[in-house]
Amino acid sequence: MIQDVNHPIIETHQLRRRYGRGEAAMDGLAGVDLTIRRGELVALMGPSGSGKSTLMQILGLLDRPTSGSYYLDGTDVSRLTTAEQAELRGRRLGFVFQGIYLLPRLNAIRNVELPMVYARFPASERKHRAADSLSRVGLAELANRRPNQLSGGQAQRVAIARAVAPGPDLLLADEPTGALDRASGREVLSLFQHLNDDMGLTIVVVTHDPLVGRHARRIVELEDGHVISDNIVNEAERIVADHPLEVVK
Amino acid sequence: MNAFSIALDSIWAHRLRSALTSLGIVIGVFAVVTLTSLGSGVRSYVSGQFGSFGATLITVAPALPHASSHKPRFGGGPNNNFINVPSTLTVGDATAISLAHSRDISQVAPVAVLPVTVSPTSGSSSGLAATGTTASYFRAEQLSFAAGRFTHSGAVLGSSAMHTLFPRVKDPIGRTIYVGQSPLPVTGVLNSASGLLSKAANNTIFVYVSTGLKISDLHNISEILVAASGNTQVNGAGSVITRVMKRRHPSGNFTVTKDTQILKTINNTLSTITTFLSGLAAISLLVGGIGIMNIMLVTVTERFREIGIRKALGARDSDILVQFLAESVLLSLLGGAIGVLLSALASHMIGQLAGFSAGLTLDAVALAVGFSLLVGIVFGVIPAFRAARLMPAEALRTE
Ligand SMILES: Nc1ncnc2c1ncn2[C@@H]1O[C@H](COP(=O)(O)OP(=O)(O)OP(=O)(O)O)[C@@H](O)[C@H]1O
Ligand SMILES: [Mg+2]
Repeated sequence: MIQDVNHPIIETHQLRRRYGRGEAAMDGLAGVDLTIRRGELVALMGPSGSGKSTLMQILGLLDRPTSGSYYLDGTDVSRLTTAEQAELRGRRLGFVFQGIYLLPRLNAIRNVELPMVYARFPASERKHRAADSLSRVGLAELANRRPNQLSGGQAQRVAIARAVAPGPDLLLADEPTGALDRASGREVLSLFQHLNDDMGLTIVVVTHDPLVGRHARRIVELEDGHVISDNIVNEAERIVADHPLEVVK
Repeated sequence: MNAFSIALDSIWAHRLRSALTSLGIVIGVFAVVTLTSLGSGVRSYVSGQFGSFGATLITVAPALPHASSHKPRFGGGPNNNFINVPSTLTVGDATAISLAHSRDISQVAPVAVLPVTVSPTSGSSSGLAATGTTASYFRAEQLSFAAGRFTHSGAVLGSSAMHTLFPRVKDPIGRTIYVGQSPLPVTGVLNSASGLLSKAANNTIFVYVSTGLKISDLHNISEILVAASGNTQVNGAGSVITRVMKRRHPSGNFTVTKDTQILKTINNTLSTITTFLSGLAAISLLVGGIGIMNIMLVTVTERFREIGIRKALGARDSDILVQFLAESVLLSLLGGAIGVLLSALASHMIGQLAGFSAGLTLDAVALAVGFSLLVGIVFGVIPAFRAARLMPAEALRTE
């Protein structure tokens, strides 16, 4: 894909996801219009059940909208074959799940390599990128550990390393800090900020933590499947958020 | 890290599940291969037994009064006669057949099963059978003498008969035995016969046909044994016999049975048995297959989450399919190989015990392994195919 800065990396129109049928049917998403440009770091917030995960799954090509359209980097996703979608998931998108979805049988480095296996990266590049990515999250020395030998925070960092190793354009993280204590959560969030600053990676992150939300440059709030607010965070607030210890003082 | 190493890894990670899956295949393959191998082992053993005669023997017997079809000389030999059939065959018939001087006929022997007791002392019984015949009989049945020879006035003992009559005697030649009321000298002892049909000779004592008929006060013989001069002469010999016999017995109250017919009958019977055994084996294969299917179905459901993660990380539907396919194929082949090994062992052991070689037949191995592969693939891949087609979110949602 041509890196055309003029069209947004994400553009949705009246995105709707209906769960169930008949009487029991309910809208997880009830018509979401959202545009996200390259290089943005967007925090997606909202109460439980507001549709955050539903939206992330659709944006990450893990689920299909019931109606509405989704243009990913200018491409109408509904026109893609399943193989093309798989290719996009492997090369262009990184997904960090709510909960930690590492494969228990594979050690950290092999978990990180997995998307690149499916994206048919040459073995040498795959290994090199996996090692790089693991050291970027500060876990180079734990490369051979199995997920059950890692702490929750370490495992989540492995998952992040896995998501960014292939060099995606868009990182989608659904409550990456949900299972972590405050300190590990902050670490993960500042990691995102570095990825965003240094590599220009576009990131959408779901979070409940209002303070964590301030790492973002933009906060989108969902409720009952609708976007109810969409704010750019001003620079002053962010500088404060960049130094949370000073805030605590 | 290709599909096969992913598969191997997964097989090893779930050792118990893998073992259970393979067990179904092991049992199925073992049953099919062992049963069919035994079937064909028995068949070739029986054919081999006939082969040692060259399947050249022809039997002329009285027609059964109620059935005109020939009766196979099943497990027969001289003492398997049709005593209850009123026989009209005579020594003269046998002589007439030899006097036809056909090139197709090498031996003609009248056989009279004698309804008398045999014992080393007068008035007791050993349970042995006595047969009246001529020297041609031994040549036709390929029976050889361990000692002595066949004479018009003496008796020849089968190897087991000798041990029954004279348990501790090394050389019974010259001793007297009582056939009915008549004392006869032992003039010869036969070597032990191992052929399926000639085995009966081991438990028989032989006397000259006219002597035997006189002792038993009989006029008719039980059957006439004819040896054709070769495998290709059997039919020619058969028609000579039929022509001679027709002339002497215009009523046609006799039957002419060739060993080849018996061989055919036995072969047919054995084929039926083999088919039956294979049917049983197929059922166990099916049961094994259902076992595999169940485990695979459970497995895939269990592994929806894994499938979801892999798909979310960019695995194509085909990647997932290939992974599960590889796993199924590996498991099936593993189970198949173990099954074949076990049945090789079993066939060998049974063969040793039963005294014939029951080699594995290639078809059985191919069939069983092919079937287990098919089952493994079908039941391993169809559920995986279902899972692979789900959107990752759905797969991840499944618990
Ligand atoms: N598979 C499903 N079937 C039926 N309803 C669903 C399903 N997934 C989500 N929902 C419903 O859709 C709505 C949105 O769910 P979603 O998971 O997107 O919420 P969320 O904002 O991520 O909440 P949380 O913060 O608790 O993770 C909820 O009301 C939920 O009950
Ligand atoms: Mg959620």
